[in-house]
Amino acid sequence: MNVAAFVLLAAMLAAYVLLDGYDLGVGAVHLLFSRTDRGRAAAFAAIHPFWNGNEVFLIASGAALFALFPKAYAAAFSGFYLPLIIVLWLLMVRGMSIELRGHFESELWRGFWDVAFCIASALLAFVLGLAMGNLVRGVPFNGSGYFQGTFAFLLNGYALAVGALALLALSMHGAAFLWMRVDDELRESARRLTRFLWPLVAVAFIGVTAATVIAHPITGHPGLWIAPIAALVALASVAFAKKVALALAGSSVFLLALMASAAQTLFPHLLPAFPSGTGLDIYNAAPNAYSVGTAFTAALIGVSAALIYGTIAALRMMRAK
Amino acid sequence: MEGALIADRIQFAFTIMFHYLFPIGTMGLAPFIAFYTVKGVRRHDERAIAIARFWAKIFTINFAIGVVTGIPMEFQFGTNWAGFSARAGSVVGQTLAMEGVYAFFIESVFLGVFLYGRRRVSPTFYAFSAVAVWAGSWLSGFFIVATNAWMQHPVGYTIAKDGTIELRSVGAVLLSPFAWWQWAHVMTGALLAGAFVVAGVGAYWLLSRRHLEIAQRIVRAGVIVGICASVVAIFPTGDRNGAFVTRDQPAKLAAMEGLFNPERDAPLAIFGMPDTQHDVLIDPFYLPDLLSFLAYGDFRANVNGLSSYPRDERPPVELTYYAYHVMVGLGTIFLGIMALGVLLLFLHRLFEMRWMLWILMLAMPFPYVANEAGWMVTEVGRQPWIVYGLLRTTAGPSPNVVAGETIFTTIGFAGMYFLLGVLFLLLILREIARGPES
Ligand code: HDD
Ligand code: HEM
Ligand code: HEM
Repeated sequence: MNVAAFVLLAAMLAAYVLLDGYDLGVGAVHLLFSRTDRGRAAAFAAIHPFWNGNEVFLIASGAALFALFPKAYAAAFSGFYLPLIIVLWLLMVRGMSIELRGHFESELWRGFWDVAFCIASALLAFVLGLAMGNLVRGVPFNGSGYFQGTFAFLLNGYALAVGALALLALSMHGAAFLWMRVDDELRESARRLTRFLWPLVAVAFIGVTAATVIAHPITGHPGLWIAPIAALVALASVAFAKKVALALAGSSVFLLALMASAAQTLFPHLLPAFPSGTGLDIYNAAPNAYSVGTAFTAALIGVSAALIYGTIAALRMMRAK
Repeated sequence: MEGALIADRIQFAFTIMFHYLFPIGTMGLAPFIAFYTVKGVRRHDERAIAIARFWAKIFTINFAIGVVTGIPMEFQFGTNWAGFSARAGSVVGQTLAMEGVYAFFIESVFLGVFLYGRRRVSPTFYAFSAVAVWAGSWLSGFFIVATNAWMQHPVGYTIAKDGTIELRSVGAVLLSPFAWWQWAHVMTGALLAGAFVVAGVGAYWLLSRRHLEIAQRIVRAGVIVGICASVVAIFPTGDRNGAFVTRDQPAKLAAMEGLFNPERDAPLAIFGMPDTQHDVLIDPFYLPDLLSFLAYGDFRANVNGLSSYPRDERPPVELTYYAYHVMVGLGTIFLGIMALGVLLLFLHRLFEMRWMLWILMLAMPFPYVANEAGWMVTEVGRQPWIVYGLLRTTAGPSPNVVAGETIFTTIGFAGMYFLLGVLFLLLILREIARGPES
C-alpha cells in the first residue's frame, strides 16, 4: 500500500509538472516569444482558462503528501522554509499577472505585468528544479527528524544544474504548447523557439543524468534504464517534429520520463539523508495502514474523476477555438 | 521557542483572516450566480443572464485572490506548524487532501467552462457548470470546516505508540455533527454576506439612478435571501453551535460570555468590559438568568465560569469575549435591517425609500466583520489547545524554524497582501461602476 501511495504521489506531481509546466514555460519564454502586445496577449489568452486547474495539481499533491506521509510533509516544508515561502510569493505574483494584465488598456500596466509574469514563471521553474535536485541529493537531518535547509546548503552545483534543466525543459514545453494554441506568424515564432531550445535541453539533460548516475549508479533491474532512454527518444522527436502534435507529445513524454527517473532514484525514500543516514522513507514517515489506505483511496478516486471531467470539459472548450 | 510560537500565531491569524475574506465572497455569490444562470437559461431571460454574468465577474476577482491567498494556507501547516502536522496530519491531512482532489478540481474546471464556454458549450451544460461552481465552493467550505471542527472536537482517532494522533475512522470525522452544524453556520454566514453585497450594490445603482430594472431585481433578491440567512444564522445554526461549545468546550463558553465564576441562574451579559486582573466585568448590563437558559434550556441551570478551570486551560478572555459580542450584536442588527427591508418590499415602498437604500449600501462590509469575528471566537477560544484536549498549541510550531524567519516572511506577506487588497478594491469598484452588460 505504501508503495502504491508513493506511485500515486509521483503521478500527481508528474501531472502537475506536465500541466502547470506548460503555463510556467509560456511565462518563461513569453518575452522572447513576441515583442508586440498582440502576441503577448495571445500568450496569456492561451493559458488563461487552464492555469488555475493546473495549479490545483500542486495543491492536491501537497495535500496528498500531508495525508499520506505527514512526517515527511512536516519535515520537508519546514526544512525548506524560505525557498518554499519564496515559491509562494512567486506563485502569487504569477497568478496576479495572469488575472490582472487584461483589466486595463494602459501600456505601462501591461508592460509591468509582462515582466513580472516572465520573471516569476522562470524563477518558479528554476526553483522547482532546484528542489527536485536537493530531494534526490538528500538533506542534512538532525537527530529529531527535522533539518534546516539554508541557501548555503541548497545552492549546490548538482541542484543548480537540475534547476537549469527544469527551466529549459519547461520553456521548451511552453513553446511547444504555444505552437499549438496560437495562429499565423505567432505560430512560426513558437515553432522557432521550440527548435532553438531543444539542443540546450539536451545538453542539460545529459549533464544532469551523468551526474545522477555517478552518484546513484543504476544497479539492479535493467528496466531502470527505460526512463532515461525514453527521455532521449522523446527529445529527439521534439527536435525533428514537423507537426506540433508530435513536438508537444515529445516534450510531454520527456517531462514524464524525467519525473519517472527522479522518482525511481528516490524510491523508497521521500527525503533521503545527506551525506548518509536513514532519512524519511515511505514506511517510517507513514501513519497506520488505515490512514494511508483512506488517503490513497480518496486521492485516487478524486484525481481520476477530475482527470475525466477535466478532459471532457477541456476538449469541449478547445473544439471551438 | 516562545518567540517563534507568537510569530507563528500572528502569521497564521493574519494570513487566514485575509484569505477568508475572499471565500466569503465566492461562497456567498455562487448561489446567486447559479440561480440567475439557471433561470436565464430556462426562461430565456437575457436580463437574468446579464445579472449572473455581472456577479460572475465579481466572483472571478474574489476567486483569483482566494486562490493566491489559499495556497499559502495549505503550505503553512508544513512550514510553520510542522509539530502539529507531524502529530495530527494523519487526520487533518485527510480532509485537506479531499478538499484538493474533490472540491478544488470541480470548482476550477467548471469555473473555466462557465467563464469561457458560454458560446462553446450547450446552454444546459453552461447552466450545469454554474451550479457545479456553487457545489464546488460549498464543498470546499465543508472539507475545510470539517478540518477545523475536528480540531475543535476530535473524533475518530487513536493515539499511536510514539504519541502521534492517527486516523481510526474517516466516517466519524466526516459525519461528526459538530462539523455539519459548524458548516451550516459558516455557509449561512457567507450567504448572508453575499445577500448584503447583492442588495447593497443594487441599492447603490438605485441611489445613483442607473440600471434601474436590474437594480430592483437584485435588491429584492438580496433582501429576501438576507432575511432568511439572518434568521438561520441565529436559529438554528448559531444556537446549535453554541450548544456544542457548551457541551464540548465549556471554558470557551465562559470566555465568550465573560463569566468568571460558576453561577446558578447565570445572567447574559449584553454589555460590559472584562477585567482579567480582578476577574469581573466592568459596567455590565445583564439580562437575568438568560445565559443558563440559552446554554441548557433551563433558567436554573448551573453554568461553569472561568474559575472552574485551571489557569493554563483558559483561553484569552478579552478577544474571545469581544469577538463573540461583535458577532452576535451584528447578527441582531442584520436581522433588524433585513426585516425592515422585507417589510418595505411588501409595502412596495422599498425602492423609493432612499434612506433604506443608504442603509443597505452602507451595511455591505459588516457581514464580513461578523464572519471574521466569529472565527476569532472559534479559534482564540480554542486556546491553549491546537487540537482540543489532545495537543497544546505550544507543541504546534516547527522546531527548526526560528522567530526571525517567521517575522521576515510575515512582513513579506503583509506587503504582498496590502498590494492584493488595493488591487482587489480597485477592480471590484471598477466593475461596480461599469455595471452589467446591457
Ligand atoms: C455573518 C456572519 C455571522 C452571524 C450573523 C453570526 N455568526 Fe456565529 N459565526 C460565524 C458567523 C456568523 C462564523 C464566521 O461563520 C463562525 C466562525 C466559525 C464557525 O463555525 O462559524 C461563527 C461561530 C460561532 C460560534 C462558535 C462556534 C465554535 O466555537 O465552534 C458560536 C457559538 C456562534 N457563532 C453563535 C452565533 C449566534 C448565537 C449568532 C446570533 C446572532 C451568530 N453566531 C451570528
Ligand atoms: C477552517 C479551517 C481552519 C483551520 C484548519 C485553522 C487552523 C488554525 C491553526 C493551526 C492555528 C494556529 C494555532 C493556534 O494558534 O491555535 C489557528 C489560529 C488562528 N486562526 Fe484558525 N483555522 C481555520 C480557520 C480560520 C479562519 C477562517 C479564521 C479567521 C478568519 C481563523 C482565525 C484564526 C486566528 C485569529 C488564530 C490565532 C488564534 C490565537 O493564536 O490565539 N481560523 N487556526
Ligand atoms: C487553514 C485553512 C485553509 C486552507 C489551508 C485553505 C486552502 C485553500 C487553497 C489552497 C485554496 C486555493 C484553491 C484553488 O486553487 O482553487 C483555497 C481557496 C478557497 N478556500 Fe481556503 N483555505 C483555508 C481556509 C478556508 C476557509 C475557512 C474557507 C471557508 C469556509 C475556505 C474556503 C475556500 C474556498 C471556497 C476557496 C476557493 C477559492 C475561493 O472561492 O476564493 N478556505 N483555500
